[in-house]
Amino acid sequence: MTQDLPGKHWQEADGLHIDVRALPPPDPMVAILGQIEHPDQSGPITVHHDREPIYLYPELAERGWQYQIIPGEPGEVRLILSQET
Amino acid sequence: MLAGSFLGDANSRLLPASIPFGFFAAAAVFHMAAWVALFVGAGDVAGFAGGPGPVLAAIHLLTLGVLAMVAIGASFQLLPVATRQPLIRIWPARLCFWLMVPGVVLLSGGMTGASTLALQIGSGMVASALFVFAALSADNLRRAGAMPVVAAHCWAALCALAISAGLGVIMITDFSLGFLTNHTAVAVAHMLLAAFGFMGLLVLGFSLILIPMFALSRSLPTKPTWAQMWLAVLAIAFAAIAVFADNAGLFLAAIVIAVSAASVYLWLMGNALRTGMRKRLGISMLLVRLSWGLLLVALLLGFCIIVDIPAPNLPALFGFTVLVGWLLTFLLGVLQRIVPFLASMHASGKGGLPPLLSDLTPDLPLKLHAGFHLIALMACSVGILFDSTRVLQIGESAGFAGSVAFAVFLGLVLSKLNASPPKA
Repeated sequence: MTQDLPGKHWQEADGLHIDVRALPPPDPMVAILGQIEHPDQSGPITVHHDREPIYLYPELAERGWQYQIIPGEPGEVRLILSQET
Repeated sequence: MLAGSFLGDANSRLLPASIPFGFFAAAAVFHMAAWVALFVGAGDVAGFAGGPGPVLAAIHLLTLGVLAMVAIGASFQLLPVATRQPLIRIWPARLCFWLMVPGVVLLSGGMTGASTLALQIGSGMVASALFVFAALSADNLRRAGAMPVVAAHCWAALCALAISAGLGVIMITDFSLGFLTNHTAVAVAHMLLAAFGFMGLLVLGFSLILIPMFALSRSLPTKPTWAQMWLAVLAIAFAAIAVFADNAGLFLAAIVIAVSAASVYLWLMGNALRTGMRKRLGISMLLVRLSWGLLLVALLLGFCIIVDIPAPNLPALFGFTVLVGWLLTFLLGVLQRIVPFLASMHASGKGGLPPLLSDLTPDLPLKLHAGFHLIALMACSVGILFDSTRVLQIGESAGFAGSVAFAVFLGLVLSKLNASPPKA
């Protein structure tokens, strides 16, 4: 159940947004992977983070997802996650 | 791919690959050397009660060359994750490596009885390396912005390391000057503080990050993690005082508190595994689970020693179970998981797709390592209990074969990392 995942998540016109700022490790990774493993989720997902999630990347690759870093608010690292084509 | 200042401190949190992998590669070599030294001294293992020779050298190849080496390499990489603060400088980490590796070679060589000078120079180099590690870690912990309970475990581990290293230098000086009235008590306190204090507290602390990360579970409840820390620190303090006071009651209290700490720890770990999204955790988690069982066995053996259960060679069996059964098994299990993970991150470069973890994890060497390690644990334990040099040598040969398999695993991962250099 994605409702049980840590962090805040909401739907916008460009897809699902997840805010994992200030969560202790490994909650951000759990929140993000929990969403992308949901069968109805095909992306894109926008992640609002407070640091670059370097430990997430191998897990994304293993699941066939890719990431792109885009500018966010000051102090924020914002990523767009999408399935590999 | 956009990459600029908004990337924050990601690169500073991901150290140059040569630092963690340098420590891990050195540990793999010392792992093989430790089993060779133990094989050479097989006849002295069961009744070992301290003193120079191949067994003492093997113990320090294992504790300093493998356990501490892995702990230092992993700490340099994991501390910035736990504290959200980068290491203040990279060069002290390299200095630590270049003091530690030749220091362990000289120290263990000197411990075979070959050279007092090598022993003294080696101990000085190792003590300096540990001081650099402690200073760099303390600076990072001082600036810690997150996970205070992990930081607290690390502070306590550094205190134990400082006392244990100080006792080690005193004992080496005592080899030539002979001023200690109770060398054995100092040796036991040194071993307890190094194994349970320094290594044990690091294992307990970093497990709070690593096991949930492996299992993909949520972060663990805070109160039990603090209970684990305080119980473990109390148990170690009681045990250290009991050694010098020669007080069986204090020893018993230390064991009871240690069992309580271990119970809280294992409950937390079980909680992470039960609630985690990842259920198939592979051979690495089998080794980790085995190490948890052997932690309890070690505490049981400690109890048997204190209450004078009439079983042969219990002190040697206790030492073997703590160092090889619990700590080495745990660290090798964890390394199997984090080595491909780190390699994948280093190989990816900015924005590129990292190589798949499954492609970076060669199965056969890991299966061989696990099998041989298990044989080594069983055969050496039986060999110690029945004082059989032949059985011990069978176990030590299996341990050596396992260490070769592990080195092959590490070499294969590193060769794949070199084949796809970081773009950053």
